[in-house]
Amino acid sequence: MNRNYILLTVLMLVLAVGTLFLTTDDEPKQIAPEELLQEIIQPTRYVTTDQVAKMIIQGDPSLLMVDVRSADEYNEYALPGSVNIPLEELLNEGNMGYFGVPGVKVVFISNDDIRADQTWVLTKRLGVDGTYVMKGGLNCWMQTIIEPSQPDADAPSVDHALYAFRKGAQIYFTGAESATTDDGNVEVQVRRREKTNVAAGGC
Amino acid sequence: MGPLIPNGVIGGGWDFVIAILLGVAFGFVLEASGFSSSRNLAGVFYGYNFVVLRVFFTALIVAMVGLLYFDYVGWLNLSQIFILPTFLTPMIVGGVIMGVGFVLGGFCPGTSFTGIAIGKLDALFFTIGLYLGIFGFSLAYPLFEDFFTSGDMGNVTLMEITGLPAPYFAVAFTVVALAAFWGTMFVEKRVRKNMKQYKF
Repeated sequence: MNRNYILLTVLMLVLAVGTLFLTTDDEPKQIAPEELLQEIIQPTRYVTTDQVAKMIIQGDPSLLMVDVRSADEYNEYALPGSVNIPLEELLNEGNMGYFGVPGVKVVFISNDDIRADQTWVLTKRLGVDGTYVMKGGLNCWMQTIIEPSQPDADAPSVDHALYAFRKGAQIYFTGAESATTDDGNVEVQVRRREKTNVAAGGC
Repeated sequence: MGPLIPNGVIGGGWDFVIAILLGVAFGFVLEASGFSSSRNLAGVFYGYNFVVLRVFFTALIVAMVGLLYFDYVGWLNLSQIFILPTFLTPMIVGGVIMGVGFVLGGFCPGTSFTGIAIGKLDALFFTIGLYLGIFGFSLAYPLFEDFFTSGDMGNVTLMEITGLPAPYFAVAFTVVALAAFWGTMFVEKRVRKNMKQYKF
């Protein structure tokens, strides 16, 4: 009996049996479809432009803005501090490393919230937590932060506080001159119910 | 990474270069394994020399097991490789014809060229016959065409037909092959004992 033959036979057998233990999972790890659907119908993934603006202004270190538009659009205009990862390149090597970092809130930004939503679904499907979508995208950003509209004089005070914040944010982001305070012009008209002398209702 | 050309790792023009290199290597291994001798080759049918079985079975199981490992470590994507379409009945008939030609002529197409390379006359005549056969078949092709293309099963694999994972087949083939190696060794010894003289 040739010893080499025995050795080679054993080697070949071991290698062949070894293939039984190779786990070939080409499919990336995914969450269950039911779970994904549950997540999709929840509005909790949305953050408002005001929340984003506030976090930027406060320099919140847990915020990571990911701009999912094309590089051209990103170069034209982007939020300060945002990272450009176009949707098509999301799954490229290295890009997934941005997501799923504990304590980091990833906010997806696009022109509206469709592309950002698509990106969010993709990352969610891959089982990444802590990703959000900026509601309304950059269009909404323009309407609310860059050019906020003044609320009606008789709007609730919350709206005025929000407007004040937005004006401040506008100054922060655009460098617009602080508008000459025309607070004096805001006159809250208190409408009192006219007293009726005649008792209403029958008696 | 692989397959190299479809994945654009190397350009499409390289396929001829690779084909030539592989062809040279294949011819060399055939000749080095003693396949240029029709006595060696025909020995598998008479039981005195099973080198054909050993060489081809070795190539088969090494390639099969190796590819599974290549796929595992990511050097080759097995889902991208070309799979020859299966025409079941024509392939069985073709196999029988090839086997008859093998035992009659003492060569298979590839080995006949290695025989020519070392100057064997029988290999030369075999090759002439080979080309005559190809020529005849080409002329008569319209007669065979229906049969030739019948039973098309597409690019199927054993895994798709049986639903079993590839490693099962790898292990099964390896066990069968290794058993055949050792089994034929004993057959060879017995048959050779009764032979007077055996020259290559």
